[in-house]
Amino acid sequence: MDDEQAIEPTWKRDFPYEAASEDEVTRREFARYLVAGAGVMAVGNLGIAAWTQLRTINTGEPRELIPLADVEIGDTYLFRYPTDADPAILLRLADREVVAFSQKCTHLGCVVYFEAEEDRWHCPCHEGNFEPRTGEVISGPPPRALGRIDVEIRDDTIWALGYQP
Amino acid sequence: MRTSRQATSASSAVVIYVVILVAFQVFLLTVAVEAFAADDEPLAWATAGVSVVLAAGSAVLLRYLRP
Repeated sequence: MDDEQAIEPTWKRDFPYEAASEDEVTRREFARYLVAGAGVMAVGNLGIAAWTQLRTINTGEPRELIPLADVEIGDTYLFRYPTDADPAILLRLADREVVAFSQKCTHLGCVVYFEAEEDRWHCPCHEGNFEPRTGEVISGPPPRALGRIDVEIRDDTIWALGYQP
Repeated sequence: MRTSRQATSASSAVVIYVVILVAFQVFLLTVAVEAFAADDEPLAWATAGVSVVLAAGSAVLLRYLRP
């Protein structure tokens, strides 16, 4: 038995098939792949940051939402603002008083809804709660207030004027 | 003078450092996605900055690896 046979593993003798891709990966090559992966992840992180920035730059254009009469006092109305990808919610507090907020919880982006019996915006994902008039955090993990949408009643119609993240 | 055994240990250490940095990059990616979901721009940019520094750091470590 010569030296080459001596160091060859048994499985290789039993299955003597080889392919070009079976070449050993050197330590340096392995590290190079890892660094390339790190570079790709860094670029991905930069892309995510840029996307986050661009998304918040859009504060929306004034537009008509719904006639005031179509929303009862204490009721909510769902709409999308500033873009079709941004869910928003409006609450009629009194006869001529309405507030609107982004429906995305500031914790991890779950959808918040109005809990009339508790008088608060509630995020069911992690039990985040927000003040109904200002959107400020009452309790739970959200780090900041809900994004506010300026609304105004013009000629008995509710208008959205702009978004303040 | 540096022996072959020492050189092998050193290059193993470099690879381990790179693996640790890449693992941290994966963690940073999850933080960035979280920042994106929460519209948290400062966190997203901070994460991107640290991620770029780590990637550059791992590229520098490559220089210390034996060819």
